[in-house]
Amino acid sequence: MPDLNTWLLISPELILTVFGLLIIVIDLVGREKSHAVLPWVAILGFILAIATIPYLAQDQTIFAGMYAIDKFAFFFKAIGAIGGILTVLISIDFLRTRTPAKGDFYLLLTFAVLATMMMASSTSLLMIYLSIEFLSYMSYLLAGFLREDKKSNEAAIKYFLYGAVTSALMLYGLSLLYGISGSLNLADLTKQFAASSDLSVKALGIVSFTLLLAGFGFKISAVPFHQWAPDVYEGAPTPVVAFLSVGSKAAGFALLLRVALTAFPTFHAEWIALLSVVAMMTMTLGNLVALQQTNVKRLLAYSSIAQAGYMLIGVIAANVSGASPFMGLNGVLIYLAAYLFTNLGAFVIVVAIENATGAVEIPEYAGLVKRAPLLAALFVVFFLSLAGIPPTVGFIGKFFVFGAALREGFLLLAAVGVINSVISVFYYFSIIRAAFFEEPKDATLIRVPGVMTASVAICAALVLLLAVFPQSLIDLAGMGMGMFGIARP
Amino acid sequence: MIPLQYFLLLGAAMFCLGLYGALARRNAIAILIGIELMLNAVNINLVAFWRYIKPANPAFELAGQVFALFVITLAAAEAGIGLALVIAIYRSRDTVNVEDVNLMKW
Amino acid sequence: MPIDFLPILVMIAVVAAFAAIALILSGLTGPRRPTRAKLEPYESGMPPFGSAMRRVSIKYFLTAVLFILFDIEIIFFYPWAVLFRQLGLFGLIEMGIFILILLVGYVYIWRKGGFDWD
Repeated sequence: MPDLNTWLLISPELILTVFGLLIIVIDLVGREKSHAVLPWVAILGFILAIATIPYLAQDQTIFAGMYAIDKFAFFFKAIGAIGGILTVLISIDFLRTRTPAKGDFYLLLTFAVLATMMMASSTSLLMIYLSIEFLSYMSYLLAGFLREDKKSNEAAIKYFLYGAVTSALMLYGLSLLYGISGSLNLADLTKQFAASSDLSVKALGIVSFTLLLAGFGFKISAVPFHQWAPDVYEGAPTPVVAFLSVGSKAAGFALLLRVALTAFPTFHAEWIALLSVVAMMTMTLGNLVALQQTNVKRLLAYSSIAQAGYMLIGVIAANVSGASPFMGLNGVLIYLAAYLFTNLGAFVIVVAIENATGAVEIPEYAGLVKRAPLLAALFVVFFLSLAGIPPTVGFIGKFFVFGAALREGFLLLAAVGVINSVISVFYYFSIIRAAFFEEPKDATLIRVPGVMTASVAICAALVLLLAVFPQSLIDLAGMGMGMFGIARP
Repeated sequence: MIPLQYFLLLGAAMFCLGLYGALARRNAIAILIGIELMLNAVNINLVAFWRYIKPANPAFELAGQVFALFVITLAAAEAGIGLALVIAIYRSRDTVNVEDVNLMKW
Repeated sequence: MPIDFLPILVMIAVVAAFAAIALILSGLTGPRRPTRAKLEPYESGMPPFGSAMRRVSIKYFLTAVLFILFDIEIIFFYPWAVLFRQLGLFGLIEMGIFILILLVGYVYIWRKGGFDWD
C-alpha cells in the first residue's frame, strides 16, 4: 500500500488531475460569466505543478519500480507545463470567436500536459503504454475540437487512424518485451538482456525495439511515421498545433531516450544503425518538402519533422559515460528547451495573425512589417532560432547536438544535419521575404491582444537571453541527465 | 500442455490480419475493427506469456493479466473516440470512406 | 499432450449424439399442430415488425459509445473484488475516487445533453 510520501512524490500529477476535474466542475455548475476564469485556473494548475518540482526527493522509483522520480523526468515535466501555460495564453483569444464549449478544451489540455508528465516518468511497459495512449487520446480530441470545422474534423480522424495503428504496433512490441522477462519493469528487462546470450532473445529485442519505434516515431513525427503531421498541423486549431509540436514531441523524446538508454544498452549498435537511417530520412524529407509549401502551418509541420531529425542525432550520439560537455543527451535536452520557446513563439505570431485577418498562406503575409512591425521583427528572431543561426538559443541547441555527433564520430550524420540546416534557411526566409520586401494588399494595422503580445515577447526574450547566457540552461540539462549515471547497471 | 509457440503463432496471425485490415480497408469503421483485432492479438500474447513465464520479481506475478485488462479498457476508450470522430465526419460529409476525406493533400 | 484431450473429445461426441437423438426422437414421435403464435421466433416476446436490414439512426451511435465506455470501466472492479479483503479500507477509498471521477464524466455527459434524444 502506498504511503503518504509516495503521494507527495507524484504531487505535480495529482495537482493537474485535481485542476482538470475542477475545470470541468466549474464549467458544469458555473454560469456563462464565470467561464472566463477557466484558462486562469488551468494556468494556476500548471504553475503549482512546476512549483512543487524542486521540493520532491529525487532519484528513486515508486509503485514497484514502475514510475521514476528523477531529474530527467522533472526536466520534461517542466517543459510540458511551460508549454501548457503558453498554449493556454494563446488559446484564450483563439477560442473566443470559434467555439462555445471552452471548459472541455482546458480540461483536455490540462490532461494532455498530465500525460506528458507521466510519459516522462514511465519506467515500466504498462506505464509507457498507458501514458502514451492517454496523451494520444487527448491529442485526437483537441485536434478535432472545432466540430463545425471540416478541416479540424479531417485532421482529427487522420491523426486518430495513424495513431491507433502505430500504437497497436508499439503495443505488440511491448507484449513481446513482457514475454522476455515476465516483468513489466525496464530495469528487469535490462538485467534479462544482459544475462541472456540466447539468440532468440536478441532477435526478439531487435524486433520489439523496431515496433516500439513506431509508437515513439509517431509522437516525435519521425519518418516514416510522420504522415499525420502536415494534415494535423494544417487542420487542427492552431494553439493545439503549438502544443502538439512541443509538448507531445518532448514527451516522445523523453520516452525514446529512457527506453533506448536504460532498457536497450545491450543493443546499442543495432538501434544506432536504425535511428541513423531514420534521422537522415527525417531531416532530408522534412526540409525538402517544406521548400514547396505555401501554407504557413503546413510549412511549420515539415519544419517540425526536420527538427525531430536534428534531435534524433543527439539521441544517437548519446554517451552517458563521457566527461565532455558534448554528450548528445544534454544536447537533446538543450535543443528541446530551445525548441519549446522558439516554436511556441512562432506559433503565437501565426495565431495572432490568423485571429486578426484569417491569413495562413505565405502570400497573405505580404507586407507584414507595415501592418504589425513588432510581430514581423520577432518572426525573424524565431526563424533565426529555428534555422540555428546565432545569436539565438536554437544555435546553442544545434551546437551541442552536432558537437556530440562529431565527438562520437558520426561525421556523416553531422554533415547531413548541417546541410539540412542550410536548406532550411531558404524556406524560413521565404516567409521573411514576403513579410518585409513585398507590398501589402491591405495596409491596415493588425491589432494584437495584450496577452498575445506578452507571451510572444516572453518567448522572444528567452530565445535571445538563453543564447547570450546559456550556462543556466546547460546546467539544467546536465542535471536532467544525471539519472542515467545512476540508473544504468 | 499446449506449447507456448501455438499461442504466439495465433497472436501473430491475428495481429497480421488486423494490420492488413487496418491498412487495406477504406471504410473507417472497418479500419477500427482491424485495430481492435490487433489489440486482441496483443491480449492473447500477454495472457499466454503470463501463463508460461514466471517473473523473477514477485511483484509482477499477475502482470500479464493486469496488462490485458488495461488493454481491454483502453481499446474501449479508443473505440469510443474513434466512433465519435467518425460520427463527426459523417455529419459533415455524409461518408465514412477515408479516401473521400481529402480536403488537405500535399 | 494432445492425448490428454481424449476425454473431452469423447464428451463432445456423447453430447452431440444425445442432442441429435433427442431432437430426432421428438420429431418422429411428437404430435404436430402449428399455430401462428407457435411459429414466432420468441414465443412470449415482442411482436416482430419491419425488416431486420433497415438502417439504424446515427443517434444510436452516441448511446452505443457511451455504453461501451461505462460498461468497460466495470472491468476494474474485478481485481478489486478478488482482493477485496486484502485491500481493505485503502481499496474502498481508492474505488470511491475512481467512481467519483467516472461520476464527473457522467454528470458532464448529462449536462451537455448527451442523453437527450432530440
